Amino acid sequence: MTLRTTPFHPRTAPLMEGQAWRRWAGYVVASAYELSHDREYHAIRNAAALFDVSPLYKYLITGPDARRLLDRVVTRDVAKCKVGQVLYTPWCDAEGKQIDDGTISRLGEETYRLTAADPNLRWLHLNAAGLTVTIEDVSDRTAALSLQGPTSRAILEGAAERDLAKLRFFHLTDGTIRGIPVTISRTGYTGDLGYEIWVDAGRAVPLWDALIETGAPYGITPAGMLALDVARIEAGLLLIEVDYFSSRHALIESQKSSPLELGLGWTVALDKARFNGKAALAREKERGPAWQFTGLAVDWDSLERLYAEVGLPPRLPTVAWRTSVPVYSNDRQVGYATSGGWSPLLKQYLALAHLEAPVAQPGARVCMEITVEHRRKQAAAHVTPLPFFNPERKRA
Amino acid sequence: MSGAGWDAVVIGAGVNGLVAAHYLARAGRRVLVVEQRQEASPALETGWIPPHIIRELGLASRGLRVAQPDPWIAAPLPAGGRLELWRDVGKSAEAIRRLSPADAARWPEFCLRMRRLAGVLEALYVQPPPDVESREVGELVRLARLGLHVRRLGKQAIIDLARILPMSVAELLDDWFANDTLKGLLGAAGVWHLKQGPYSGGTAFNFLHHHVGSPAGVFRPPRSNIAQVLTALPGVEIRRDAEATVVLGSDGRAAGVLLVQRHEQVEAPLVVSSADPRSTLWDVRGTLDPEFVHALSNVKCRGVVARGTLALDRPADFSTLCVAPSLEFLERAYDDAKYGRDSARPYVEAWAEDGRIDVHVQYVPFSDQKRTDEHRRALAASVGAALGAEPGRVTLHTPDDWERLYDLTEGHLYHGELTLDQILFMRPVPGWSRYRTPIDGLYLCGPGTHPGGGIAGAAGRNAAREILRKKRT
Amino acid sequence: MTSPIRYDAIVIGGGHNGLVHAAYLARAGKKVLVLERRPRVGGAAVTEEVFPGFKFSMFSYVVSLLRPEIIRDLSLPRHGLHILPLESTLTPMENGDYLAAWGDHDETRRELCRHSPRDAEAYDEYGRLMHHMAHAVKPILGMVPPDPTSLNPRDLFALLRLGRHFRGLGGERLHALVKLMTMSSADLLDEWFETDVLKATKAASGIIGTFLGPRSPGTAYVLLHHYMGELDGVFRAWGFAKGGTGSVSEAIAAAAREFGAEIRCDATVARVLVKGGRATGVALQNGDEISAPVVVSSLDPRRTFLQLLEGTALPEEFVADIRRFKFRGSSGKVNLALDALPNFTCMPGVGRHHRGAVSISPSLDYVERAYDDAKYGEFSRRPYMDIVFPSVIDPGMAPPGKHVMSIFVQYAPYHVNGGWTDAKRDAFGDAVIDTVEQFAPGFKSLILHRQVLTPADIERITGLSEGNIFAGELALHQLFFLRPAPGWAKFRTPVRGFYQCGSGTHPGGGIMGASGRLAALAVLGDGR
Repeated sequence: MTLRTTPFHPRTAPLMEGQAWRRWAGYVVASAYELSHDREYHAIRNAAALFDVSPLYKYLITGPDARRLLDRVVTRDVAKCKVGQVLYTPWCDAEGKQIDDGTISRLGEETYRLTAADPNLRWLHLNAAGLTVTIEDVSDRTAALSLQGPTSRAILEGAAERDLAKLRFFHLTDGTIRGIPVTISRTGYTGDLGYEIWVDAGRAVPLWDALIETGAPYGITPAGMLALDVARIEAGLLLIEVDYFSSRHALIESQKSSPLELGLGWTVALDKARFNGKAALAREKERGPAWQFTGLAVDWDSLERLYAEVGLPPRLPTVAWRTSVPVYSNDRQVGYATSGGWSPLLKQYLALAHLEAPVAQPGARVCMEITVEHRRKQAAAHVTPLPFFNPERKRA
Repeated sequence: MSGAGWDAVVIGAGVNGLVAAHYLARAGRRVLVVEQRQEASPALETGWIPPHIIRELGLASRGLRVAQPDPWIAAPLPAGGRLELWRDVGKSAEAIRRLSPADAARWPEFCLRMRRLAGVLEALYVQPPPDVESREVGELVRLARLGLHVRRLGKQAIIDLARILPMSVAELLDDWFANDTLKGLLGAAGVWHLKQGPYSGGTAFNFLHHHVGSPAGVFRPPRSNIAQVLTALPGVEIRRDAEATVVLGSDGRAAGVLLVQRHEQVEAPLVVSSADPRSTLWDVRGTLDPEFVHALSNVKCRGVVARGTLALDRPADFSTLCVAPSLEFLERAYDDAKYGRDSARPYVEAWAEDGRIDVHVQYVPFSDQKRTDEHRRALAASVGAALGAEPGRVTLHTPDDWERLYDLTEGHLYHGELTLDQILFMRPVPGWSRYRTPIDGLYLCGPGTHPGGGIAGAAGRNAAREILRKKRT
Repeated sequence: MTSPIRYDAIVIGGGHNGLVHAAYLARAGKKVLVLERRPRVGGAAVTEEVFPGFKFSMFSYVVSLLRPEIIRDLSLPRHGLHILPLESTLTPMENGDYLAAWGDHDETRRELCRHSPRDAEAYDEYGRLMHHMAHAVKPILGMVPPDPTSLNPRDLFALLRLGRHFRGLGGERLHALVKLMTMSSADLLDEWFETDVLKATKAASGIIGTFLGPRSPGTAYVLLHHYMGELDGVFRAWGFAKGGTGSVSEAIAAAAREFGAEIRCDATVARVLVKGGRATGVALQNGDEISAPVVVSSLDPRRTFLQLLEGTALPEEFVADIRRFKFRGSSGKVNLALDALPNFTCMPGVGRHHRGAVSISPSLDYVERAYDDAKYGEFSRRPYMDIVFPSVIDPGMAPPGKHVMSIFVQYAPYHVNGGWTDAKRDAFGDAVIDTVEQFAPGFKSLILHRQVLTPADIERITGLSEGNIFAGELALHQLFFLRPAPGWAKFRTPVRGFYQCGSGTHPGGGIMGASGRLAALAVLGDGR
């Protein structure tokens, strides 16, 4: 047996130049189509990048109690989600520790689609005790593309033959592209102007063709996970199993994080009725979270100096890294960075880090460990609020 | 005096509910007991009454009677006649000697050893279960005291405790005895209310659990009129024919109960339920942590006991008659239940008292209302055959009936099997063994909580004391 | 005749625990003699060429729990130990479908999804819980069990530490551990899964070597064994030893010899010599006497105390406890030489599933019914089987193109009604083969030779009482400070200088070697 391929595979496979596939939720997806991911990254910020995000877990939740179920599970107030709106939200266990995060799209009065990074069917069923609701795993049935970048709107307007200026950030609309029914949501994982297009898996290939054809004049570029990783770090967006552990996977207590610690306090609606983790989160908010998830920008001069000591120019990570790196303040470890990399756009070495809350003041000076010629050094860095990059066009 | 000013509502006027109600009333609470059944059951209550309850509620002067049948059991012998065991250990040994001199010789020692272990359980049962997670000094002291209590019993008791509790009752009895009739009648007490046969681990514990409160050499729980005495005891108001569900306030706390048929709400800041944990909490499960609800739905309460009466046109010639001729007989009766069938040859026990004969039949598995009239007739026939009576004289309630009539989950009379994973701090749900529930103001006090069924009133007393302790602190 | 060499210790029995024990003593500089009754070392871990060209791990056939510290301490890989992974488990179902667990997580998930998407998720969570539980139990396997009845400060202290360890787990895991120790595997699995065949296959691993059915309490904790190995960094710990399990024994023996131990085969010990309440040596069946200040038995408790010490005065209560110790062998083994690999209906052709285990456990009721037969003294008409084809992974086990097939069969009670006879053994073998034939039509015609081993045969050949593969049932009341008898779980015995080191002592079971090692530490500790 081989790994599964996504519904777009007939189109993505021939593009692959370096056989750089990787696994995502049991599927193979592209790390990068070209031998280097540079051009794919720049397409995100300069034109439009097209990602195959079909491996996302997708659940269709329908019925009179669909909203109640979601409200029990997630921290956001789902009652405030109107038809045609999308919410980003984390969800927690009873202790207020984050299990996963994803989006809720309200497709109709009693119809919602939840996307998730991890399988959540069992958890949804456990929460549905006593509710009149149907939970369907539509992960295989629904294919998804993410079209991200400044020209994405123009491409989609051309393909869907309609004006999308009115489609606001985190809203969705139904439409057709060359006769293929699709749902278009103004969402993404790049922090840029962008859309996600949801389609029946059976019609995935013609949709791909339509977008590529329409997008060619606008610089549409199929892109892989390496480019996405750089963009999401610039946008300060969390990645599960990298920046935080699902509380369900954590082996010890200290591996767990709460949304408050992850900088997602704005998603925790303590004023709504009971939801998983509410009491614990209320208590945590009261006393203040112990950790703060934040950005770090490494000081160039410091980096340059550390390399100069061994007679080298600064070496920069060519791809975003995903290891845990200690962060110090006055020679005491005050946290750890979980993702980082060079931003080709901002010309900065960026990292996402968990810091002890008192240290995590914007502008505060800390040191991040880097390895220079096999030796551990500390590079100066300063705490930077997220996102690092937040263009107006994202919401405009 | 309706609606106005109850401090507490107790759901269920069974022994545990009434005991809890009276303890609360004695502490100055105004208590209403609501009971779905129209009339109190005339049957005697089976189970040890902790002496604390008799003393503290003054039951002795209220006409409490504990039956002391002698012989305490009679079992038909394969060659005709009966084996009768007496309250006197020596007299029983004499009776056993006719079947097996070796068994008779071991009887006194067996009785002594079992009695000592039952004593350990008694000490555990009259207080809330030990909280093994607690870091409170008081709890640690209590744990240490329990440990000392056991250690004082000596080396043999510690070894017995560790070795016997996880054993099967068959292994336990095979260690001691050879005679099938003797092992059958003893082993039967090990499978009471369990969907397990005597060859299953943990049945030795169940055997000891049902020895609690009985003197050495008597292996059936005492039977008493405590239910009737408590019903007549002044101090609490009992409202019958009042099926109740818990009502929550907007703050998520218990706010009282809704009397379902009467469409009447009774308000009280404290609700104590002696109904089974799952049915008590099922309607409000939407407000509970899903893991808790999952644990609640995992409580094993697979009803396997049918109970009823036998009408004889002559006086019974026994006080307790046990038809369980051997351990293998019991195991085969269980085999049927394992695959979802009523035992073709069930274990039947009949208790005669004051002209009334109560019958206990096992295994009659809960069938989720799939039992047909044909099944019922077959069951009555097999029970009649066991007792030498016309099937028409047997009236039985099956687990299906208990569930249909009284909303008893899977018709389990103990509100949860007494298996090793469902006792002490694991009962009813791990982490929630102290009569509390995740809903503030709602407590449990029925046999679904520690120490479980077959003990009259201990859960009710423990729960009331726990509630009153909580209020003080 | 007395031996001219002065030994520091004599180890009775050259099974893996005896050999491990001897190796550790020799490593500490002791002059050790191992006496083995059979012509070869290994006990129940032997490889034999039963039919010309066809080699079999005659009894014990998978290596899972061999303690990694033993592998390292004794440098076993240098002495030829190579454990090859057993990657998959295939369970053919009666409707022609199957359930498979593969080496790859995504693939297994996908296969489970086919049966139940919810179970596929529960499977991961269950695995994590088991991982935690194995972590919680592991320290116990490595410790000498404290005696809770003793007032010795060392015991009290150890008990206290143990208590603290368990409390330290926190509520949720402590509760899970209690459940695991007390529940039946079927009940525990019911809390997690809805797919019957999945529950059956998992539950089957909980009954191996026990005289219990999947619905009998006490079977759940055996499920843990599957997760124990992973903690030691041995991912996917189930495997074959290259050259069969005999090569494990050979490797340990080689290590022991290198440390200076002497191993003598064809040397049957008749009894242990005791003088003034002290062991002074052993008497062989041929009349030879060999003396040593320390004598260690790796035989099971019944043989150790009731046979080797026959005639020696032992405390009455202790003898009663040993007599009470339960063996009740419940499994048999069928070893087949095959012309070709069988073709399973559910997964036709020769494929990678032949490199893994095939579990005949199509439903919980199937396994439970197999137990029902045994409960009343019959071998299972349709038994639970764990099948492997060692020659697929290790081609040296059979002539080129041919194969060996090892079938672990349960239940085959030692105390079968009427006793084991040649005719009954044949009937048992037929039942096994007929059952396989149902799942792999045409299988019978591939059989070149067959060897059927009943518990009575296992007892006769290996000496394990009642053919119990764990040298005493691994039931809750025969574990830890109760193994083999209360007060005597620390490898010492009522006879000074006489020790026990077999699987019948804590922690026991499987090719683990922990008993042998812990006992060696106890002997060496006493010597100081």
